[in-house]
Amino acid sequence: MEAERILQYLTEVEEAAEDVLANKQQIVDLDTKRNMNREALNALKHEMASEEKVKVCFGNMFIKFPKAKTKEMIQRDQQQLDNEINNLRQALKDKLNRLNELQGKPELTGYNLSPLSNVEVKAINHLIKR
Amino acid sequence: MAAQMATTKVPEVRDITRIERIGAHSHIRGLGLDDALEPRQVSQGMVGQLASRRAAGLILEMIKDGHIAGRAVLIAGQPGTGKTAIAMGIAQALGTDTPFTAMAGSEIFSLEMSKTEALSQAFRKAIGVRIKEETEIIEGEVVEIQIDRPATGTGAKVGKLTLKTTEMETIYDLGSKMIESLSKERVQAGDVITIDKATGKISKLGRSFTRARDYDAMGAQTQFVQCPEGELQKRKEVVHTVSLHEIDVINSRTQGFLALFSGDTGEIKSEVREQINAKVSEWREEGKAEIIPGVLFIDEVHMLDMECFSFLNRALESDLSPVLIMATNRGITRIRGTNYQSPHGIPIDLLDRLLIIATSPYTEKETRQILKIRCEEEDVELSEEAHTVLTRIGQETSLRYAIQLISTAGLVCRKRRGTEVQVEDIKRVYSLFLDESRSSQYMKEYQDSFLFNETTQPTMDTS
Repeated sequence: MEAERILQYLTEVEEAAEDVLANKQQIVDLDTKRNMNREALNALKHEMASEEKVKVCFGNMFIKFPKAKTKEMIQRDQQQLDNEINNLRQALKDKLNRLNELQGKPELTGYNLSPLSNVEVKAINHLIKR
Repeated sequence: MAAQMATTKVPEVRDITRIERIGAHSHIRGLGLDDALEPRQVSQGMVGQLASRRAAGLILEMIKDGHIAGRAVLIAGQPGTGKTAIAMGIAQALGTDTPFTAMAGSEIFSLEMSKTEALSQAFRKAIGVRIKEETEIIEGEVVEIQIDRPATGTGAKVGKLTLKTTEMETIYDLGSKMIESLSKERVQAGDVITIDKATGKISKLGRSFTRARDYDAMGAQTQFVQCPEGELQKRKEVVHTVSLHEIDVINSRTQGFLALFSGDTGEIKSEVREQINAKVSEWREEGKAEIIPGVLFIDEVHMLDMECFSFLNRALESDLSPVLIMATNRGITRIRGTNYQSPHGIPIDLLDRLLIIATSPYTEKETRQILKIRCEEEDVELSEEAHTVLTRIGQETSLRYAIQLISTAGLVCRKRRGTEVQVEDIKRVYSLFLDESRSSQYMKEYQDSFLFNETTQPTMDTS
């Protein structure tokens, strides 16, 4: 009986931990994609400045596509990635808090605060960078 | 990354190596309570005073929950009954995140500052504001820097920077500004760097361990770090706790931020304080700041005068007010600045707002325990008989006197190359140093031979 309860508790903790790790990995994957997109955008701008049409790889097939359209497509993708990463980061905090709660650790203080704006940080910097 | 940031606790700002001298209360590590707030007889340097420690524990819990901001507590008791020790215990148990300001009642008397100014500064030092700073950074190990110089020798340089983490690798195109700051920081392949996305500021964290063998001859100042994990573009969140007083000081224009370091901050205009209050409550409303009501401890509170007491009355009503803990060893005595008598030398209207904790004199067993703890703290070995004698002295004279004898007896013992303090050592220092009652006895016997003696003068009012 006792063993069963412990097992159940441990499963719960492990699940929560796995959740956190999966979330982290997802952020990494999305950031890889974001960086690849960024590289592509740079390449379009600098290396293929003169070309009208470019070859884009979809899956394992290269398709010739108008440059302007490609650019727009990647930019849209980029925006979506940014949003997704932001959401994941927010979710990560909740998940981490849940994990801490399950493990009986105190909740992290101050992480649900909204950040100060740049101007405010600058004003108060002397204090922070003691 | 956010998770990594979150899991590794924010490094402590106050972590300065300092040599801790053995102070009178250096053995106190907390209030010595168990989880159910029941006091243990001997724990965390605390001995006895069970009732008062339990009371202090209750108050501590309320402070931690943020319940009793703007209330006041008075610790009253005879001299040497552990009032300051209890306050120190509260401070230790609160941890580093809750501001704790300790001052003595006489500290407010200064020529540079009015009394109420000194008090309001102390009040504001005891209120913490928690804020968060968030920055987007790119953090990675430099794999390669490639800079193309234009053939003509002039014109804009272009380049490429390859960065990697343990999970990914990517190439950034560099503009001339970026190239300039990279060369200014002397960044080379193998360095671990961060780039602040908002400002473009580059900082070098160190060299990657994997490149440690590239150069054998390396300056001692070269730091080796692990190749960063996770994504390249990270969000770094740091939570800071600053006190209201510190914000006041940087915003008090005549002083500038340098005043914080010179120690003397002078008076702060009330307009500045009001502005700060407004800003902080605006932040709180926007969810940008949390207010942490801390603890202000005023020792020897009977040294405050009437003006200060009425200021305290008023200040406790303000919505930005810390928990005020006061300690006094006076009984019914004159309130400073008036001719009225009042319990503890505190006006009745203020007393009415206080929760009062009383401490009682230590029993023989407790005295023995405290002396033992102090011996350990001061690194003095005491023999069994010497301990008994010292306990006796502590009971008959005062605990403080007995504690003073520990280190002096330790010295005498070391001088005769003994390892353990014996009764003789105690006897020797007892004859060398007078305690308060023997000294006054001596005065009474020989007062005629001292200068300026006036036998008719009333004795000092210490009741």
